[in-house]
Amino acid sequence: MRIMVVDDDALAGELTAAVLESAGHEVVLVENGIEALEKFGEDRAFAMVVSDMNMPLVSGIELFRHLRDANIDIPFILLTGDDPAPMMAEEPRLDVCLTKDASLEISLIEAIEAANERRRRA
Amino acid sequence: MSGGAAGMETRKPTLREKIQKLRLTFLDKLPDMILEGRGMCGRLLVAPGDAKALDDLFRAFHTIKGTAASFGLNEISDQGGIGETLVTAFRNLSPPERAETAATVVGELSAVLDQTAGLVTVAGDGEVKIDHETKVFFSVKDEKDGFPSKRVFLCDDDQIAGEHLIAQLTCFGYEVVPYSTTDALRTAVLANAPDAVIMDIMFPDGINAGTEIIDSMRRELSSPPPVVFLSARRDFDARLRSVQAGGQAYFTKPVKVTELVETLDVLTNREEPDPYRVLVVDDEKEVAEYHGLILEEAGMSVRLLYEPSAILDVLTEFRPDMVLMDMYMPTCSGRDLSQLIRQIPDFISLPIVFLSNETNKVMQISALRVGAEGFLTKPIQPDDLITAVAVRAERMRTLRSLMVRDGLTGLFNHTFLSQYLVTALATAKRETKRVSLVMLDIDHFKTINDSYGHPAGDQVLVALSRLLQQRLRRSDMLGRYGGEEFAVIMQNTGPEEARLIVDGLREDFSRLQFQAGERSFSCTFSGGVAGFPDVPRDHLMEAADQALYRAKRAGRNRVAGVPAEVRS
Repeated sequence: MRIMVVDDDALAGELTAAVLESAGHEVVLVENGIEALEKFGEDRAFAMVVSDMNMPLVSGIELFRHLRDANIDIPFILLTGDDPAPMMAEEPRLDVCLTKDASLEISLIEAIEAANERRRRA
Repeated sequence: MSGGAAGMETRKPTLREKIQKLRLTFLDKLPDMILEGRGMCGRLLVAPGDAKALDDLFRAFHTIKGTAASFGLNEISDQGGIGETLVTAFRNLSPPERAETAATVVGELSAVLDQTAGLVTVAGDGEVKIDHETKVFFSVKDEKDGFPSKRVFLCDDDQIAGEHLIAQLTCFGYEVVPYSTTDALRTAVLANAPDAVIMDIMFPDGINAGTEIIDSMRRELSSPPPVVFLSARRDFDARLRSVQAGGQAYFTKPVKVTELVETLDVLTNREEPDPYRVLVVDDEKEVAEYHGLILEEAGMSVRLLYEPSAILDVLTEFRPDMVLMDMYMPTCSGRDLSQLIRQIPDFISLPIVFLSNETNKVMQISALRVGAEGFLTKPIQPDDLITAVAVRAERMRTLRSLMVRDGLTGLFNHTFLSQYLVTALATAKRETKRVSLVMLDIDHFKTINDSYGHPAGDQVLVALSRLLQQRLRRSDMLGRYGGEEFAVIMQNTGPEEARLIVDGLREDFSRLQFQAGERSFSCTFSGGVAGFPDVPRDHLMEAADQALYRAKRAGRNRVAGVPAEVRS
């Protein structure tokens, strides 16, 4: 699957990419929300977005809303350093909101499968 | 090496290894982040209402919290969380409340940063570094083919420990001269100063004899050599004396050689770091000159541009680390100009900072949307300008190096090298010049890993990259292409010349002697060379790959070119 990873912290982005690549996905890394939107402008062939929440200029949630406004309806996984529950409450349309921790390598892959499964059933 | 089946073996790093590498990079980076955090705290003391400093500080703690958690560094993550909460609470205060509590809060934040720094040290010590149990190193059998070495004086009264250290440092290309007394060292340094001194502290003539002699030499010499202290003492007093004597680093015995070498590499680097390159775009000549002067005074390299329409040529030729741009210019607005710059792939990540009288938030945000990095409001204090520019230029360089360099060998990575090849070929076509592409692959690398362990394999990779770095020309671009595959792009070089150069390197590499524990081994590489314009641009990579494959099939340990009938 071709996945866009959005993170302003280069290391965190690399980590997410490493996890996804090891699961056989193709990853395109971008540094911020604006770059992400620009990428979608030129190339829509992404099956999923995995984005950090807290980024300068455009936050992860704002990016999600921009994408939905632009009718880009692919699954969106939000990564956050905070408690995910309030985030899901604020934006229930999010597919998954995950806390960043050492179990990311497992939880992220599970989340992707769950998101895909839900889409298939919907 | 035992012979294996034909074909290339590749070893891709596993997810574990990748995560571990990223984790180490993060731990390496944290001290700088902590330092930056301290800087921001300082700014809060002076200007408790500085929203930018608060945002930056919040983001710094937030990053520490999130990224540390991702790497399983939970205690560090907790400190990030505490810092984040403190900043948020402070940000919610009214301006007078902020002014009143600034000193206290900054004190608390500093304590959090101290705690974090302590945890980083502990976490770093706990990490498994490459050469713990099996000491792996390489040496050159034939001395005349040795690396151009740097001279280091080692002063230690323990001669056995000294000899062991010398053997290893020599393998990393250092020429080490031992001295067993401080007097002998002093005479030698005054006669002919080395590139660096490694100094013990305790000698028969006193428990501080090492630091004392260095301190006194520093007063006698106008440019004393850099000094690294190496001692069994772990006490505060010894460390303090070493700093006061001008010591650049302090290692406790037994020293980890790779760490010592890293420090020596930095200290003896004879090349000056490149100054930041800043392009100042402003139609008002005097304003541009004023800002340019401030930045030049701070040691940066500045180019002034008064006429926006010439920007493309200047960008290509000057290659700035960042652009400082006036927002309002008669021929085109800074907003349009930065959008124009962003549409060129090469400059997509070039930081652009606007400088204007604009205080209107909406206008600022619309500028940020087209990709500006930041906004500075005129008039700006010289120090603020220097800081704003230096921070962004530095971050740009760090990010670029993270993105373009391979973690183990420090060479350029696949992505960067592929981009570079495209540019080099375009230039060669335009200027009707030649480019050669060389692909190298270590022979039977998997067997090395299997027989001697991954640390041995890693040392082979590092050794080959050091050899290539030392021996190739400045104009040659060198990168790690994959597992054990390297690529070299040679500009203005035909394939025959490229093949001769690489073949010489191949012979030298086969003479290197590696040690893994008790066992020693050597290994070889194969190479494939293809040259433009003999081979068309689009097929160059494929042709070099096929040449490499032929070299492998013909028995390895050789460099092959493209057969005449294949060339266009």
